[in-house]
Amino acid sequence: MNDLIIIGGGPAGIAAGIYASRKKIKTLLITDYFGGQWIVASDIQNFIGFKSISGFNLSKALEEHLRLQSDIEIKDQTLALKIEKKDNGFAVKTNKEEVFETKTVLMALGTHYRKLNVPGEDKFMGRGVFYCATCDAPLMKGKAVAIVGGGNSGFESAIDLLPYASKIYLLEYANTFSADLTTQEKAKNSGKIEAITMAAVQEVFGDEFVKGIKYQNRQSGEIKELAVEGIFISIGYQPSSEIVKGLVELNKAGEIVVDCKTQRSSLEGIWAAGDISDALYRQGNIAIGDAIKAVLNIHDYLKGK
Amino acid sequence: MIKIYTTSTCPYCEMVKEYLKERNAEYEEHDVSNDEASQKEMLAKSHQMGVPVIDIDGTIIIGFNRGEIDKALNK
Repeated sequence: MNDLIIIGGGPAGIAAGIYASRKKIKTLLITDYFGGQWIVASDIQNFIGFKSISGFNLSKALEEHLRLQSDIEIKDQTLALKIEKKDNGFAVKTNKEEVFETKTVLMALGTHYRKLNVPGEDKFMGRGVFYCATCDAPLMKGKAVAIVGGGNSGFESAIDLLPYASKIYLLEYANTFSADLTTQEKAKNSGKIEAITMAAVQEVFGDEFVKGIKYQNRQSGEIKELAVEGIFISIGYQPSSEIVKGLVELNKAGEIVVDCKTQRSSLEGIWAAGDISDALYRQGNIAIGDAIKAVLNIHDYLKGK
Repeated sequence: MIKIYTTSTCPYCEMVKEYLKERNAEYEEHDVSNDEASQKEMLAKSHQMGVPVIDIDGTIIIGFNRGEIDKALNK
């Protein structure tokens, strides 16, 4: 029986693994891969201690640090599918037909891309509809594109696309953009970007590939079309909390509600940290701190404190 | 013969390359960012534009999908 199973291999999961190992907590870490959401960020400038680093290299550095620890068992390339409450703890089932028992669980699964849910989105996925601008921006050379979402991820997508796209429309549902001002300025100074607020996207259309996007101006009610060959959906993320649904309290957004002093969820024995929790601010630096807090509290709990 | 279609900025492409290396599978990489012929080839094979695309002896895999890669390698 494990003392702790950590589910997730992003910054929260990795930080928890390092601390748990150093505290000699008998720990198993289950993750599909190491990285987390920032793996697609091309340039991170606010991770403390690094002036500038790509998300991919930062993830590699964190993973290496974790793998240096001797007292942790790691199952990567593995998905946790189900968590069951037992008399003396929990049983975690994986996609490899394994079941692991544990006294405590730390949920650090983070989030996944949020979909727009409009007609054409699924049909044209990969055929003009993309979710990773870092990955697919170079294919948009000389093409007009639309980005849906005016938050940080939307503006970062715009910056990734600047060297390639001929024209960038940035569509935002609200009447203002919520991205950090420095990121907004960097994008807007290019002169290539046309920002459109109060836009409710209605449809993605095309033949074999995307030909355009249809949206409604929420002020005038007018329906407009933009001829674009690429549509990058950057409307944020949704928590990957499906496997604890019904087990712990989730808020409306699907985030695990935690006590912010200890990271405990509503069910004794389950903790959560990082973007899967209802933390107010979503930052790698914060996810790491919250995960460490959780492990220290789990350590106290296991000692009967 | 394994061909992979990548862009220079795509982390999932790096993961595919690392995964193939771990399995001692030799591959030929085509960066489609600046190579239109490879871009067309990738479109023709996968009918889509997202990277990475992996061609393992004619089996086309879109994205870093370990299960599909393993299946194709073990054929």
